[in-house]
Amino acid sequence: MSGPRRVRVTSPQTRIALSRGHRPAQHLLPQPVPGSPDEGELAHARAVFHRQRRLAARTLCLLALLLFGLSGLLGAAAWLGRVSVLGIPVSWLLLMAASYPLLLVIAVFHVRGAERIERPGRSGRPGPSERPGPSERRGPSRRRGR
Amino acid sequence: MTALLAIGLLFAASMAIGVYGVRATRSTTPDFLVASRRVSPGWNAMAIAGEYVSAASVLGLAGLMLKNGIGTLWYAVGFTAGYVAVAALVAGPMRRSGAYTVPDFADYRLGSERIRKLCAVIVLVIMWLYLVPQFKGAGVVLHLVSGTPYWVGVVLAGAVVTASIAAGGMRSATYVQGFHYVVKLLFIAVPAVFLVAHAGDGARTEALRMDVSDWSRPLLDLESSGQPLLATWSVLLATTLGAVGLPHVIMRFHTSASAWMARRVAVGVIVLLGVFYLFPAVYGLLGRVFTPELVDGGDTDTVTVVLPGEIVPGTWGSVLTAVVAAGAFAAFLSTSSGLLMALAGGLSHDLTRPSVPRLRLAVAAGALVAVLLSLPAQRVDINVAVGWAFAVAASTFCPLLVLGIWWRGLTPAGAAAGLAAGVCAATGSALASVLTDPGPGWLVVLLAQPAAWTVPLAFAVMIGVSLLGRPPEWAERAVLRLHSPNA
Repeated sequence: MSGPRRVRVTSPQTRIALSRGHRPAQHLLPQPVPGSPDEGELAHARAVFHRQRRLAARTLCLLALLLFGLSGLLGAAAWLGRVSVLGIPVSWLLLMAASYPLLLVIAVFHVRGAERIERPGRSGRPGPSERPGPSERRGPSRRRGR
Repeated sequence: MTALLAIGLLFAASMAIGVYGVRATRSTTPDFLVASRRVSPGWNAMAIAGEYVSAASVLGLAGLMLKNGIGTLWYAVGFTAGYVAVAALVAGPMRRSGAYTVPDFADYRLGSERIRKLCAVIVLVIMWLYLVPQFKGAGVVLHLVSGTPYWVGVVLAGAVVTASIAAGGMRSATYVQGFHYVVKLLFIAVPAVFLVAHAGDGARTEALRMDVSDWSRPLLDLESSGQPLLATWSVLLATTLGAVGLPHVIMRFHTSASAWMARRVAVGVIVLLGVFYLFPAVYGLLGRVFTPELVDGGDTDTVTVVLPGEIVPGTWGSVLTAVVAAGAFAAFLSTSSGLLMALAGGLSHDLTRPSVPRLRLAVAAGALVAVLLSLPAQRVDINVAVGWAFAVAASTFCPLLVLGIWWRGLTPAGAAAGLAAGVCAATGSALASVLTDPGPGWLVVLLAQPAAWTVPLAFAVMIGVSLLGRPPEWAERAVLRLHSPNA
């Protein structure tokens, strides 16, 4: 495999860590003082975070309900094995195929919810959205959060 | 012979796509990193699924099903459900953190070099636990199709993977992994349909016969413990939460253009896994009718490769065997090159000073250790060993990532204590389940499939120790940035 020169690719975090050496994390600044223009932004970020966390907790509860509920049902209801559809015992059919579409539904609802929370202008704050543009503009220099 | 040819063709095709993929990305832009982010979400999801569907899914699932019963399919449900947890908990925030690997993330979130090293050690544990069953699968398949001794297959597999990574093309190209997903799906699904059609009415009815035996119970039982519900839940916990913490899968989300895209990719993976997991069950069900002798004496992990020859005699039988063997080898090749790359990254980049020659050396060293560990592992069921890798990931990196992303109170001391408790408890009980036999009861389940207690333990230790200390001042900013659409 000759050809173009090989380039080592490292994570932006690694580059930051290596350039930082043993100094403390510079890219993570402390919270702004009250009254500064940053404060409104901080309140907004907190609100987004809490909404996302509630959504994630709800999705996890649904997931646990599906997995533990379905296995509990199959464990408790032995009669499901005596009924068959198209020659396949219902309990086997539930185990083999029922959970996948439901898992997909839970995931799709979560992603739609998370995107709704992130949509710019939801709380009257315009902001550059992640959605349309390619990510090249957001290089590591901006990640330092100055 | 046909099978060896098929495996050789598969390997050549992977190398060709790898070389082409690297060329294609290089010619569009000099920056490989940016180029990789232009990969469409569909290809990206296929690449993740291709890397994720390992020998455990292609060989191990049907094998363990033949041995233990239909309840083994809960493993497949958990493997897929893991991506719901990934989409909900880590995909977006991990993409925003800018961290490629779990040690990178630990450094971002906790700013501690020591935790980075601890994470790198855990990466090694998980990756070796995961690599051993892959190498075992390769050894068994090569033994079946060419008659070489088991150890020759394992050593050869180690050499092939090391050589292909050292050549450079395999891992870097998303397209190779995507191609492997298609190969695995087609090479398992098409023979499955063919076998069902050829098995005959009597055998089909027999395969779907529900009886009062433990085999037919739709719950998982480990080592006849008599606690099927506990065993099922423990496996579900390990596989679902383990997927969140698997180091080689997490880094794949970085090839998405944005957090928004990363979540959608995770949803795509659920679709692809759901489609794939419909098929291994066919081999398990037919195996109960056609190859019951594998259960006593034989190696049930071989059922997927043995079955076509049993059902369809003659040339077609050997063609189908070749196809299935190539599918199994694709599973081995894609997963173990991903695993070995993550392992070598941990060895060379987090534990020592990074350099390209050292990375190559780390690949060879990692493969050598995995081969040595695999040689005595011929009797270990593929799926059981992979279950341990998931259990360790679920009890270490899952709490680290979940708490790191969703709770600003996590402190470096808490993370370190939780990681240490999780890795010791999970690997310790897996070892104990190999070395001891406590007899039927809940203890055997808690040792053989420890996630039911090690995951809560790791979370509790991480939260408890963190509450004793104070998180750094900037912790909230670090957390909020992971969720900010403008970050």
